[in-house]
Amino acid sequence: MAHQPAPGGLLQPVRQSVRIRRPIETAFELFTRDIGSWWPVETHHARGDVVGVVFEGRLGGRIYERCGDGETADWGEVLEWDPPRRVVFTWLPSVSRGAATEVEVRFTAVDPTTTQVEVEHRGWERLGDRAVETRTSYLNGWPGVIRRFVEAGGAA
Amino acid sequence: MTATYDAVLDALGDRTRRTVLERLRDDGPLPVVAIARDLPVSRPAVSQHLKVLKDAGLVVDRQEGTRRIYAIDPTGLSLLRAYVEAFWQGALIRYAQAAEAGLSSDADQ
Repeated sequence: MAHQPAPGGLLQPVRQSVRIRRPIETAFELFTRDIGSWWPVETHHARGDVVGVVFEGRLGGRIYERCGDGETADWGEVLEWDPPRRVVFTWLPSVSRGAATEVEVRFTAVDPTTTQVEVEHRGWERLGDRAVETRTSYLNGWPGVIRRFVEAGGAA
Repeated sequence: MTATYDAVLDALGDRTRRTVLERLRDDGPLPVVAIARDLPVSRPAVSQHLKVLKDAGLVVDRQEGTRRIYAIDPTGLSLLRAYVEAFWQGALIRYAQAAEAGLSSDADQ
């Protein structure tokens, strides 16, 4: 049974946006191919000791960090690739838990040299879904529970 | 903030604790004995799980006579959301700064 998130629920998609002084094509490239040039790897990484970040710009491409010891650690996988307007990828907010959420980034040309970039981070209910799949043989219905739990909390 | 975010995810990562939350969500505030009913763990273990949930801001408790009543607390999930928002805000600032830096280095060339 589908449960629609309640309006104003705590784990509705998180949205953030920024406007940058770049044409849409290079704004897209900076966010994807060149993510390693700006991503705050010192505070947000999978394994740490990051020497580079690779964003494979194609459907099914991997996003991962390269570490000083030669190992790599996955951040996510490209689900939709529509340059320079849109990219969607899975995202591991906390790799040790093995639960992937989803990030969509949309690019809109404001004028030839300015681009509006909007990030939507969603799929929080998957944390619970994946927890069932990967940890245990319990299959009796955690899917969506965070979302439903939020509805209950939001209604309190 | 990070510790709290981790505490929320850790708390949600355990099957028994999720069952406890589901029960409180579906049935409203409950005493420990009702929460523990039919769970495959001891009552002291349930109390320990409730402590983890409370520390993560996912449940609150109050004393009613000799009973302690537990209820859902939206605080923990609010913190999780605030963490994610701050995370993307910070990342996008870095992204915009990189765009500006690229422009100034282009201009220098």
